[in-house]
Amino acid sequence: MISLTSLAFVSMALFTLGAIGVISRKNIFVIYMSIEMMLNGINLFLVTFARYHFNMDPQIITIMVIAIAAAEAAIFLSVIILLFRSKKSLDTDIFTTLTQGEKS
Amino acid sequence: MVDLLFLGLSFLAIGGALAMIVYKDPMYSALGVLISMLSVAGIFALLNASFLFMVQIIVYAGAIMTLILFILMFLNIKEEDLPNEPNKFKLIALGAVIMIPLNFLVLKAVSKLPAKDLLLTNTDFGDIGPIGTVLYTDWLVAFELISILLLIALIGSIVLAKKRNKKVKNKGAVS
Repeated sequence: MISLTSLAFVSMALFTLGAIGVISRKNIFVIYMSIEMMLNGINLFLVTFARYHFNMDPQIITIMVIAIAAAEAAIFLSVIILLFRSKKSLDTDIFTTLTQGEKS
Repeated sequence: MVDLLFLGLSFLAIGGALAMIVYKDPMYSALGVLISMLSVAGIFALLNASFLFMVQIIVYAGAIMTLILFILMFLNIKEEDLPNEPNKFKLIALGAVIMIPLNFLVLKAVSKLPAKDLLLTNTDFGDIGPIGTVLYTDWLVAFELISILLLIALIGSIVLAKKRNKKVKNKGAVS
């Protein structure tokens, strides 16, 4: 049951569901969690191939990805707090004032 | 036994990701993501990556998702603050149409690789000792750069959190 194809299926399913979440949702929190989900899918892929080739380097890359995700969480969440305080909404369509000018 | 464990963990991982997309309330989405990340940590343990199993639970489930849940409760989001998404399921179908060919391609490429036994081994592969050795010899520059990146993120989030107070103070001084 634990074959390379089934593990690749699980990680690609996680990546795909994250990408679909980025495409389809408007809630900025859900978009952030979808990005995390895509990172998680890629982490699973890397660890699968680390076990397949019996090589430690992909696991190191996974540690780097997790560290970058933690740094990203700090910045992204503080930006979300600033945006929510100024606009009182979580809709990504409201945050287009810089591009449109008149929508405000 | 290991097969059943893997099957259950992968179902929970994919189900949590589905719950993240489908639910309207971000709190339920965050709980779905939490379940999914814990299941991925379990799959890491099945793949002999014991250190990554702990890191995944501590950093992702312990720090990042707790931070997200804390901020969701801190912002006190009401029902009318949530954006209404009338054509969510249409966009989900569109996303699936876009992503399925890529999946098909990757799975076809991976299934052509020679099969190998991916079960648990008795070696110290993936333990904290060998990972530390590799991390501090071959990947030393990347490790130092990651530490600088984390420092910059720390300073950046403090600056972002402080900027607003300064502006309000300046306005008060002017008027």
